[in-house]
Amino acid sequence: MNTPFFELKNVSKYFARVVANKDISFSINRGEVLALLGENGAGKSTVMKILYGLYKADEGQILMDGKEQKITSPKDAMALGISMIQQHFSLVSAHTVTENIILGNVKVVIDYEKCKKEVEELSSQYGFQIPVDAKVEGLAVGVQQKVEILKALYLKTSLLIMDEPTAVLTPQESETLMEFVKEYTARGNSVIFITHKMKEVMEVADRIIVMRNGRLTGDLSAKETNEVELTRLMMGKEMVPPKREQAEEQKEKKVCLELSSVTVQRKGEPPLLSDLSFQIMEGEVFGVAGVSGNGQEELCEVVCGALPVTSGKVLLNGTDITSTSIRERIDQGIGYVPVDRYRDAMVGEMTLAENMMLKTSFDKKWISHGFLNKKKLQNDTQHAINEFDIKAPGPDAQIKGLSGGNQQKVILAREVGNAGKVLIMDQPTRGLDLGAINNIHNNILAERKNGKGILLVSTELSEIFQLCDRIAVIYKGSFMGIYDHDKLNTERIGLLMAGYKEEKEA
Amino acid sequence: MNTKVRDLIVTNAAAIIAGLLLSGLMLLLLHINPVEVFVYSINTMFSDKYTMGEVFLKATPLIFTALAFAFTFKANLFNIGAQGQFYMGSIAAIALSLQLDGKVPTAVLLILVCLTAALAGGLMGALIGFLKARFKANEFLVSMMSTYVALAVMNYLLRTFLKESKGEYPQTDAISRSAWLPVIVKGTRLHIGFVLAVLAAVGIWVLLYKTPLGYRIRAVGSNASASRMSGIDSNKIFVAAFFISGALAGAAGFTEVNGVQHMLIQDFNSGVGSAGLGIAILANANPIGIIFASLLFGALNVMGNLMGRMPGVNVPASIVDLMQGFVMLFVIISYFFRHYLENRREKRRLQKGA
Repeated sequence: MNTPFFELKNVSKYFARVVANKDISFSINRGEVLALLGENGAGKSTVMKILYGLYKADEGQILMDGKEQKITSPKDAMALGISMIQQHFSLVSAHTVTENIILGNVKVVIDYEKCKKEVEELSSQYGFQIPVDAKVEGLAVGVQQKVEILKALYLKTSLLIMDEPTAVLTPQESETLMEFVKEYTARGNSVIFITHKMKEVMEVADRIIVMRNGRLTGDLSAKETNEVELTRLMMGKEMVPPKREQAEEQKEKKVCLELSSVTVQRKGEPPLLSDLSFQIMEGEVFGVAGVSGNGQEELCEVVCGALPVTSGKVLLNGTDITSTSIRERIDQGIGYVPVDRYRDAMVGEMTLAENMMLKTSFDKKWISHGFLNKKKLQNDTQHAINEFDIKAPGPDAQIKGLSGGNQQKVILAREVGNAGKVLIMDQPTRGLDLGAINNIHNNILAERKNGKGILLVSTELSEIFQLCDRIAVIYKGSFMGIYDHDKLNTERIGLLMAGYKEEKEA
Repeated sequence: MNTKVRDLIVTNAAAIIAGLLLSGLMLLLLHINPVEVFVYSINTMFSDKYTMGEVFLKATPLIFTALAFAFTFKANLFNIGAQGQFYMGSIAAIALSLQLDGKVPTAVLLILVCLTAALAGGLMGALIGFLKARFKANEFLVSMMSTYVALAVMNYLLRTFLKESKGEYPQTDAISRSAWLPVIVKGTRLHIGFVLAVLAAVGIWVLLYKTPLGYRIRAVGSNASASRMSGIDSNKIFVAAFFISGALAGAAGFTEVNGVQHMLIQDFNSGVGSAGLGIAILANANPIGIIFASLLFGALNVMGNLMGRMPGVNVPASIVDLMQGFVMLFVIISYFFRHYLENRREKRRLQKGA
C-alpha cells in the first residue's frame, strides 16, 4: 500500500467542558475527495482546524507523506500546501478581487498589473469567469467563493479543505463547484469537504468519514455505502420522518389569523408587500414558499407587529390588531420564530432560562414579591429542555454555547409556549442538521394538532410539501396564488417561485 | 466551587503583593528602603483607628462612581461622564444644604439633599440617554464631553450665585454641623455615607439580576434587535439606565459634600470619575466586587499619603498613583490567569474521564 498524502493519528482536542475530538485517525490520498460527514457539533470543523493549524491538538500527530509534521499556525499549513475555506469567507469586501487574492503574499512594492495577470491566468485555468478588478462586496456569494478558491490556488494548494461550501449557494452554483472539485482532484490534488448534506456527499466524494460526538464512527468508500447507513452512523439511531395526519373530520374551522389587502411600501420604492390577503384556520399549517428575499421576512414582521403596514388590515380571531405593538401581540398569543435567531430571537450572553423569558419579560408570571421568580423560571426551562429534547448542560448554561439546532429548539419551545393562537415561523430549520430538523417538524405538527394557526415560511420545498395544508407562493411581495398542498408539484411550484404566472388552473 | 474561591483569594492576594513589590522597586531606585516605608504605612493603617476610617471614607465615593459606570456597562452602554454627574450632584447637594441649613431637622435635610443630588446627577445622565435614544448620539462621546459642561457650570456658580459670603475665593460657604452626615465610628471621619454606598451596591445587584427591569436592561445591552422583537422599547431602557447611572454618581456628590468637605470648592475630587471607571473594570462590573475593589483603592490611597508624610524619608506624592496603577495591572492579569487555571483544570478532568 502506498503512503497516504496526509494522515491524522489519534488526534484529540479538549475544550473547557467539552471533548471536541477523541482519537481521530484517518488519511487522505492524492487525487481523492474526502467528505467529512456529521451533525452540527460533531467535531468536524475542529479536526479540520487542527489540520489547518488554527487549533493545537492536545494529543496525536499529523503525518505528510509518512513524515510527522508540526502544524502550529495556518502559515505552517499553507507551507505544506493546505488551505481551508471557512464557512464565513475571509475576504476584505472593500478590496478588489485581485487585492484579496494577493493579500498577505506580496512584499514591499506591489506590481498590481503583474498580479492581475497572474490571477486572470489562474482563473482561466479552471474556467472561472471572475472580474478581477471588481470590488468583492458587489459580487454574488457563489463568485465570492470562487475568489476564496482562487486565493487557495494562488498559494499552490494541494489539499483544499472546504467547510460547508454549498450552504450558501444556489443549486446552479453548487453544480459549478462540484465540477471544479472534479477537475481539481483530477490534477492530483485532494479535497476535504465538511458537510452534513447527504446528497452532495454521495455525488462527489470518493471516501466518507463520519463523525459523531467528537469520535469517528465510520470510514467508508462512497461506492460501498448508502444514505441509510450514513444517517445511522451520523445520528446513532434510525430516524422516523414525521407524518402529517389528514384533518380527521371536515369540521367547520374557525379563522385564526386574517390579512386583508396588506401593502407595505416605502416612499419611492417598489412595494415590499403588495395587496396580500389570506386566512389561516385553527389547526392549519399555511405555507409560504418562495425564493428568499421576496418579502417573506416582511410578511412575518407585519404579523408579529414589527413592521407597520402602509394599507390593509391584520385581524386576529376577527379583532383588528393592525395598529397594536409587538408587545401587545405577544400578549395576545402570537409567537414568532424569526429567520435570523442570532439577531432577532436570542441574547447569546444570557442563560437558557433568561432567554426563555425574553418575550414575556413584562408578564407577571415571572414575578413573586416584586422580584424575578428564579425557581419558576428554572423549572419551566428544565421542563422545556426535557420536552423538546434540548441538549444543554442545564437552564443556567449560556445559550451561545449550544449548537444551532439546540438554540433553535429553545426558541421554538419559548414561542410555542407564548403562541396561544398563532405561530409564525420563518425558515425554522435553516442550517440545522437532520436530527434537529426532524424534531422541529414534529413539534410543528404537534402544534397543528393543538389547533394553532401556523404560518410557515420556507425555501425548502420538501419541508413545505411535508408539513403544509395550504401553500401560497410569494414572488416580489405578492402571492402568485394559494393552493391546496396536493394541487402542486415541484415543477409547478418552481415556475411560480420564479414568477411565471399560470393562465388558468389545469 | 472551593478551588474557585481559593483561586480567587490566592491570585488576588498575589496580585496585590506583586503590585506593591514593583512599587517598592521604584522606591529602591530613589534610595528609599521600601520595607521600612511599607511596614510603617501598613502598621499605621491597621493600628490607627482614624487612618482605618479614612480607608472606608475614601472608598465611599469610589463605590458610587464605579457602580455608575458598571451599571450602564451591563447594558452595553458607556457612561464616561460620572465625573460630571458627580459635579451636578455636588452642586445640588451644597445649594440645597445651604438653603435648608438650620431650617429643618438634620434627618429631613439629609434625605432631601440625598434625593436631590441623585436626581440632579440622574437628570444629567438621562439627558445623555435621551440624546442617544432620540438622535442616536454616541453616548461615549456625549457623556465624556458632558463632564466639561458640568465643570464649567460648577465653576460659573462658584464665582456667582454660590460664591462664599466673604467673596474671596471661588468656593461656597461651609454648611453647619446640623447638615453633616453623622459619623458612624467615633474618633474617625467615617460617616454613614459608606453604609449608603454598600446598600447601593447591593441594591444595584438586586436590580440587575433580580428584577424584570434589570433583566431588560441587560437584554437590550446584549442584543438590542432581539429585545425590540420581544416588545422591549430600547429607547426607554437607554434613558432609564443612564438616569440610574447618573443618580449613583450624583449620590457620591452628596456623600462628599455633606460627609467630608462640607462645602464646594474648585477642582473638587477631580479624579473620582476616572478612578471609579478603573475600579468597575477591576471588579468586572460586579456590584459586590466593586465594594472590595473600592476598599483596596481607598487603602492604597491612604497608604500612599502615610508614606508621603513619613518623617525622615522623602517619598514622592506620586507613589499613590504608582501603587494603584501597578496593583490594578496585576489584578487584571490575575483575572486572565484564573481563567487559564480554570480551563486547564477542566481539560485535565476531561482527559482523565475520557
